[in-house]
Amino acid sequence: MQHRRWTLLAALALALTGVFALAAPQPARALTTEKATARPNEDGGSGVIGGMDTRLTWEGTVEDGEEVTSVTLTLPEGASFDHSTTRITALEGLSRMDVTGTATPSGSSITVTFDQTVPAGSLLRLEITNMQFPAAGGGVVVSGSYQTGDGSHELADSEPIATIANTPLQSIVNWLDQQPWVQAWNSNQFLGMFLRPQLLVTSFASLAPGWILCLGIVVAAYPFAIALGLLFAMLKISKWRVLRAIAIVYINILRGTPLFLQIYIMFFGLPMVGINIDNNLLGIIVMAINSSAYLAEIFRAGIQSIPQGQYEAASSLGMNYVQTMFSVILPQTVRRVIPTVTSDFITAFKDTSLLSSVGVMELMMFSKNLTTVTGNITPYVAAGIFYLIVTLPLIKVVGTIEENIARSERGGGPRPRPRRRAEVADGAAERMKEAEAAEGASVSAAVAGVSALLASPNARAKEASDVC
Amino acid sequence: MTTMNRRTFVATLGLAGSAALLAGCSSNDASTDVTTDDAATTDDSADEASYTLVKEGTLTNVAELGFAPFEYIDDDGNTVGFDVDLSNALAEKLGLTCEWLPNQAFDTLVPTIQQGGKADISIAGMTITDDRLEQVDFTDPYLNSNQGLITASSSTDTVDTLNDASKQIACQTGTTGDEWIQENLPNATRVPLADVTAGLMGVQTGLYSAMVIDLPVAQNMISQSFTDLQVLEEIPTGEQYAIAVSKDNPGLTAALNDALAQIEEDGTMDTIKQTWFGTTEI
Repeated sequence: MQHRRWTLLAALALALTGVFALAAPQPARALTTEKATARPNEDGGSGVIGGMDTRLTWEGTVEDGEEVTSVTLTLPEGASFDHSTTRITALEGLSRMDVTGTATPSGSSITVTFDQTVPAGSLLRLEITNMQFPAAGGGVVVSGSYQTGDGSHELADSEPIATIANTPLQSIVNWLDQQPWVQAWNSNQFLGMFLRPQLLVTSFASLAPGWILCLGIVVAAYPFAIALGLLFAMLKISKWRVLRAIAIVYINILRGTPLFLQIYIMFFGLPMVGINIDNNLLGIIVMAINSSAYLAEIFRAGIQSIPQGQYEAASSLGMNYVQTMFSVILPQTVRRVIPTVTSDFITAFKDTSLLSSVGVMELMMFSKNLTTVTGNITPYVAAGIFYLIVTLPLIKVVGTIEENIARSERGGGPRPRPRRRAEVADGAAERMKEAEAAEGASVSAAVAGVSALLASPNARAKEASDVC
Repeated sequence: MTTMNRRTFVATLGLAGSAALLAGCSSNDASTDVTTDDAATTDDSADEASYTLVKEGTLTNVAELGFAPFEYIDDDGNTVGFDVDLSNALAEKLGLTCEWLPNQAFDTLVPTIQQGGKADISIAGMTITDDRLEQVDFTDPYLNSNQGLITASSSTDTVDTLNDASKQIACQTGTTGDEWIQENLPNATRVPLADVTAGLMGVQTGLYSAMVIDLPVAQNMISQSFTDLQVLEEIPTGEQYAIAVSKDNPGLTAALNDALAQIEEDGTMDTIKQTWFGTTEI
């Protein structure tokens, strides 16, 4: 019983509040706030940072029977409209009306007075550029008031605009902005356009994910490219004409068409036939397939560069074709193709930039976006540096390996020869002394022994290289 | 007598090259001063009416040439469109001939004009914004425009469902549509692309969920080539197209404003509008 009474009371209370809410007079709004948005001003990001210039766009609809003569927008304390510029647009449907006006900023509010009254039914759009939100960040509500023929009215609050406090990175940029040397540097048209310090800082921070993705794509693609390349290289040197034909068609088509075209075909073609693959994954697939054709040619050339004698030697040891390939020919091929494969890897890494054209968020895409936002070339230069971080060491590696191979082909080889030769020479000197001590006819015999000793490593090396 | 070895030769060459580059950056020897003869319609002083051109007697335009019906390459390889006709009409009033540079990405147009030396004007369906005004000057507006949100006709998306990280929304890099997505669909994955066709093709194939682009272009592209796309939402922005001119060339801006007023008055503008939009009410 007690329970039921309480429930009844509660219901009664609820009903009463409902009645009062309905009875309470609704504030008549002649100007309805539609929305308020802010343009992201985080360099290379999507956040709206307080205390930094950005643009506020406010839209409201003038209701029937009203004409608006001025609008005041108010932001919380700490916001600033000083030095801002305001663009006024009034629209009836989609067609623009001639409404002009003047904006008067005062601290955290701005009053826009119209030269003509904004008629009923129109959409009023105010774009305020170079204003600042409160530096503390947080949800910012745009409130304010407006003037109609019969006085001033309150504006409905907008949905809060999410803003953030300043980031450490942005603080560095702001600090750089203040430095006289940075200003002097940037006043040079060339340096300011290509190597603006503030933008280099933000570029490095915001391009990093794109760089990682580039590396990720090419590193993930390459094992598959190598496997596929090896497969098609084997097919191309196969005894059977059909297999050779398949390999030739595959390799020639892929090598004979631009990667850019292949990307377009895959990215736009596959969805058309109902195959939807994640962009990054598809990027990996395209890069792997494209590289595999080049690698197939590299491997084929590598395999065919191994002298015929190696096959003969292998078969004389009783090896079959597969054994010959995997334990004699391919190991030697690997050493020979490493420089060219590395070069191809460098090319593939650079070519991931083409994926930006189809919306893969890689390095080039990030730098393009940043250049768009800033109207400056520095992000491209930063992207170039990111590419070079990977490619320069690899180019060095290629050079070193090529040098080593060239030396070994000349008969140098990787063995620690110079030291051994020196030891032998030392030994020879000692023997000479001994021989001198021994005197007589034995001298010539000792010298012959030394020369035989000197010659023997060469001979052994020669044998070794012929066998393996 | 010193002989030059290879290394010093290369170094010298590099020095000479960079010197030439720097010289090229700083001087404008190539451009010529031109004074308009027929600016009699206004009472501007002779100083204000003088302007420089990259190439004497020629009004050099730069634009992104994939923006039908404003500027695009037709089947015969000619650069045509509303802006092209307008530019020709303006050049005629100034006693110049019109020339178009090869296609250039939209987001590079303002920097190109700001840098100067390559093109005199960019007439490219470009909206006046306060940000661009910090970098270049604009003439008086010549056309009003809005934005359009395009989806596939079969799509069930609404503006609300598009505001989701799983939705890829294409735009042309650096356009007002690009900014609109950033502000109004902050959760969606924005995909800025170099040209409109790539974006619309992506929407058609389902690669992207939607695209935001200037409404006249959206309507034209959909009626001409992408019939299975629709304008889901006409976004009233009331933006205004104008011609971008370098800040160092205020004389040219003034001369173009004169010419614009003349062609508005003598009906040339209406003729061009009629040609490209089938109406003068735009």
